[in-house]
Amino acid sequence: MNRREFSVFLTSWGAYATIRGLVDAKAPFSGILPSVWATDTSTSPLLVRYPQKRELILLTDRPPQLETPLRYFDTDLTPNDVFFVRWHLSGIPTSVDTKTFRLEVTGNVSKALTLSLAELKAKFTPVSVVALCQCAGNARSLFEPRVPGGQWGFGAMSNARWKGVRLRDLLNAAGVKPGSIQVGFRGLDTPPLPQTPRFEKSLPLESALDGEVIVAYEMNGAPLPMLNGFPLRLVVPSWYGTYWVKSLSAITVLDKPLKTFWMDTAYRIPDNSGAEETPQSLSPKTVPITKMSVHSIFVKPTPGEQIKANQAYRLQGVANDGGSGIRKVEVSTNDGNSWVEASLGTDLGKYSWRLWSVNWAPPATGNYRLLVRAVNHDNQQQVVSQWNRSGYQRDVIEHVDIEVI
Amino acid sequence: MRAVGHRHFVAFVVALLGIAWGAHTAFSQQPASGTQAKPAKTSSKPVIVQKITLPEYSSDPAPGPNLQTYQKDCLLCHSNRYVEMQPNFSRAVWEKDVKKMVDAYGAPISASDQQEIVEYLVSIRGPAESK
Repeated sequence: MNRREFSVFLTSWGAYATIRGLVDAKAPFSGILPSVWATDTSTSPLLVRYPQKRELILLTDRPPQLETPLRYFDTDLTPNDVFFVRWHLSGIPTSVDTKTFRLEVTGNVSKALTLSLAELKAKFTPVSVVALCQCAGNARSLFEPRVPGGQWGFGAMSNARWKGVRLRDLLNAAGVKPGSIQVGFRGLDTPPLPQTPRFEKSLPLESALDGEVIVAYEMNGAPLPMLNGFPLRLVVPSWYGTYWVKSLSAITVLDKPLKTFWMDTAYRIPDNSGAEETPQSLSPKTVPITKMSVHSIFVKPTPGEQIKANQAYRLQGVANDGGSGIRKVEVSTNDGNSWVEASLGTDLGKYSWRLWSVNWAPPATGNYRLLVRAVNHDNQQQVVSQWNRSGYQRDVIEHVDIEVI
Repeated sequence: MRAVGHRHFVAFVVALLGIAWGAHTAFSQQPASGTQAKPAKTSSKPVIVQKITLPEYSSDPAPGPNLQTYQKDCLLCHSNRYVEMQPNFSRAVWEKDVKKMVDAYGAPISASDQQEIVEYLVSIRGPAESK
């Protein structure tokens, strides 16, 4: 049994035991993992079950970071139970009672608000938007030379329809006072030590008031899973997931910039359009990461997959950008000598990713490197190579190596 | 005939409820349990309570020098998988990373412990030649 099979066995057994109601929370898993795995650097993923989730790829367990297996990226909307998970600090909320939960809107406002979930829903106009949530460090494990951090493959993103209220409406109800420049956000998660900085983010006031940012209470028509930020999550369409504060409980209007590790040190990129630098020449100036880059990936075939010569095969994937929408996706089956335009899936708006596909009948057997690149409505494109010290904002033309038999 | 049919129907509903109750019980006992959208009993407005129990997926640290220091200082705030998932890095990268834990996250790690931890990390995830 290889590692993957073992994990499938493990989870199948776990599910069986669960149905029988014979096991407690920790018994089936603690201590069962062979310690040899601790030094296993192979890339085969460890699939695990978390509450309200199907099997996802385990990156870390405390706090949980779970990657969505790419095979789920074949629908326009990513189901809630396979939506990726990323927490920063070990004190994550595991229980919320909406009877007592309150969202506060305070700071430099004329009238501070304290809203229950019911009040939020009743007092403000509901809006909905389809938007891709993508971790700034998605595909970090592909950066060369490698960089420290969460070693994500391509699955640190998911696409959902979010329903909630406009942040602008909340801020207008509270009355933003003159002199305000930013809005800060905090969730229910807490740090392991009192001196560890709480996870907090801020948006420029202008972005907070643009009418696009929403405080979401539903994701794909259902309450958010606990691990994705129940009961409220900030949704900042076209911006990286780091701003999408989960279990959002406090919104603070600020008259000076939020001073926190999470804005001043973390989640920063080289101050140039491609977020590029080299290990030998690090960018002297960095800025907070904001909008997502143009990017496209393969979902099928998978690396190393064997496909048959002279038979039609549907190459598939997803493409996204930072808010203008995908205009074109192209695939090359001959290492970039020529490109074929892909068919694009449903257009769910400029903040959604876009599924793409190309029917291809490989003309001959052998090893192939397939390439994919996308262009958005602002004519931004993917690049041949890119590197930065934190492994953020990947926009490299991606490839998959396969064998035609 | 009609009355018998009715009794059968009642028995059927009771059986269904029993199955539903059993399913609920199993659900609330599963390790990866989660509940949501429970209707409130005391109010006409729906009150949603979500509660999950995090499953246990910890891993055993790889053996190496100063393992105990690593366990004591590093695993206080995050699990071993944070380190386990990393590729090999130079000593300089690991030194910077350990310093970040102290300076940015406030990890209470003494200077000598920091050195010991770097030794451990280099031993398990260091450059190939130093392993």
